[in-house]
Amino acid sequence: MNNISVTDLRLKFPGEDALVFKDLSFSVQPGEKVLMLGPSGCGKSTLLQVLSGIIPNSIELPMKATSIQLPDSWGFVFQDPDTQFCMTYVDEELAFVLENLHVPREKMASLIAEVLKRVDLHLKDVHTPINEMSQGMKQRLALASVLLLEPNVLFLDEPSALLDPEGTQQIWTSIKEATADKTVIIVEHKIDLIADWVDRVVLFNDHGVILADGSPADIFANFQEELKRYGIWYPGVWEEYKTSDGFQLMMLNRQAVSSQEKIHIEDFHGYRGQVEKISAKHATVQAGDWITIVGENGSGKSTLLLSLMQLLRTNGVYEVNGVAIGWKKKKRQLPKGLSLVFQNPELQFVTNSITEELTVSLHGMPKADADMYAKELMRLFNLPDSVSRHPYQLSTGQKRRLSVATALTPSTDILLLDEPTFGQDARNTFAILEKLEQLRTKGMTILMVTHDTEIVENFATAVWNVVDGVVQTDSGVGGAMNVQLVHT
Amino acid sequence: MFNWFTPKRETWLFRVNPALKFIVFFAFLIITLVNQSLPFALSQAILYGILFYGFSGYSMKKLLLLSIPLVISFLSTGLTMLLFGKGETVLWQWGLFKISEESIRHALLLGSKSLSFGFVGFTFILTIQPVLFFYAMMQQFRLPSKYAYSFIAAFRLIPAVTEELQIRRNALKVRNIQFSKGVKGLYERLQSYTVPLFAQSIRRAQRIAVAMEAKQYQMGAARTYYYPTRYNRIDVVFVLIMIGSLTLAFLLSVYQ
Repeated sequence: MNNISVTDLRLKFPGEDALVFKDLSFSVQPGEKVLMLGPSGCGKSTLLQVLSGIIPNSIELPMKATSIQLPDSWGFVFQDPDTQFCMTYVDEELAFVLENLHVPREKMASLIAEVLKRVDLHLKDVHTPINEMSQGMKQRLALASVLLLEPNVLFLDEPSALLDPEGTQQIWTSIKEATADKTVIIVEHKIDLIADWVDRVVLFNDHGVILADGSPADIFANFQEELKRYGIWYPGVWEEYKTSDGFQLMMLNRQAVSSQEKIHIEDFHGYRGQVEKISAKHATVQAGDWITIVGENGSGKSTLLLSLMQLLRTNGVYEVNGVAIGWKKKKRQLPKGLSLVFQNPELQFVTNSITEELTVSLHGMPKADADMYAKELMRLFNLPDSVSRHPYQLSTGQKRRLSVATALTPSTDILLLDEPTFGQDARNTFAILEKLEQLRTKGMTILMVTHDTEIVENFATAVWNVVDGVVQTDSGVGGAMNVQLVHT
Repeated sequence: MFNWFTPKRETWLFRVNPALKFIVFFAFLIITLVNQSLPFALSQAILYGILFYGFSGYSMKKLLLLSIPLVISFLSTGLTMLLFGKGETVLWQWGLFKISEESIRHALLLGSKSLSFGFVGFTFILTIQPVLFFYAMMQQFRLPSKYAYSFIAAFRLIPAVTEELQIRRNALKVRNIQFSKGVKGLYERLQSYTVPLFAQSIRRAQRIAVAMEAKQYQMGAARTYYYPTRYNRIDVVFVLIMIGSLTLAFLLSVYQ
């Protein structure tokens, strides 16, 4: 094994003036486990692609370097579990790699079985559709397919960013087991599971310059300010946030807003086609409640939101603001006062500018008032006040904030959110949570699906647990008990 | 959605090499296309109908459901020809409509050709597994792997796109987007669906392409095959049956 290095790297994205890297030099010793940290957009992922040769071999970008030493053999695990596979079944996907390597057909089955064992994927049948696996399992499959390449060097580009806590745990366990003797270079924001496993941490600043390079202990002790600023989920970030003055002040005498009943549910059922997917015996929500909806993947959390929004057929007693809601097939209007924010922001944008995006749902409001309203929302959600900027051109965090803001029309008083902080860095997560708390104190009622136990413990006023399509509102699950609302 | 395409039983047609099946069906459809004899066209439609209803292995309910578009295309091509076709021996005329002996012949000819195309097309789609078809095309007919894998990868993306379509529909409802009436509204609707779905799909396709290359996929490089496809006895049987029954259909149409 030789080491990997690049000297005086310069690289730029077409159409942008600034260089991503200006004379960057970087090298990794064989067997080293390196974690690269930095704000989003600083070029960490780009550097991974340069070191692997994906840039410029697969992605052509203008770049130059005085010298560059690429690994002889390498594997790459990407962030998105849904865009790494070209085949439909587990065995076919792994066989695709073996075919590329020109492995004879007879040897394939045993190699496939062996590599699946290495990543702890125990399937009844290797001919399982990839679509039926959880996101965490898909990432382990991605790791397995890469291990078949027998790589000396492994590049990991945020492999757990889009996984729930359970999936995150699984993928890192598998990675640690499978790569003990390999060089591993990681880009990741969620680092509590690997912070003490890596040998070396490299910290980048906004301009793609290496700010610090050292042992994890050194970096986490001496560069907390930067880590916080860059939104990195370093170990202890929640503890620190909870002791911050801002959070303390926000939570001081956190009050119930009113006792007005916003949602009332009695024997409520939601259907996909003819099949019942979700049911709730009895539940009530009051104005200013912040309810977190928790439960395993596929238990029906998102289905519950779709049912409450009346995008699925429902029956039973369901009242919003005291008005009985009945499911009508031809009904165009959704329940008044409710709005839903889906997971993927881009699928919710409907116009070509931020202002339009915030005013398009304000039917019947004079234009001047609507523009004022949009300005106010842009200020509240820290969105760039740019007339020409297309919503797609925003950063991931901005897109997410905009998608929440678009749901806030003057008539919205109940907000349904499907994992609004999912895949966001620490800074964006806290920003979104603070905006939501601000809205809540003004009377907004929030129902939010989340996997994050810290959010449940620190922000929820009540927890609904969804188990196999049944909503449990009185479960003692979750830590909401320590959040006391002062009823006045 | 894909579960719908699981046959009730796997007939002998399933065991035929899919690439060979494609080539034979393709060649036979060219015969259908150039043929001008009505009796032959009719007997071909009957032959392919037997193939479709008898040997595709699907339940009659599904086959009848699939027949709806076939009947529609038969009627639409046939009726146009029947009512507006040229001809000397006029049987009935009313305004623009004119039915002649020749137009009846042409209508039946065209109708049975469109039926043949439908029957063969459906029989093919119903009796192959797409992945195996492309594997066979690569192995038996030297189809460059880049085309095979682009089709296979695209096939994998269909469920994701249908799911996104559903989310988009819901999102537009939640955002309370009202479209204009008439053609303008149709344009707005089209735009509000295609732009985000295309953006997502292009990004996804590009990521998959990079991931494939990261797994050492190289265009034009020699490769081995996980699913070996070769010719079997059944393939000989298939070719013989197809040629035999087409000859029979031809003879029946000549010596009727």
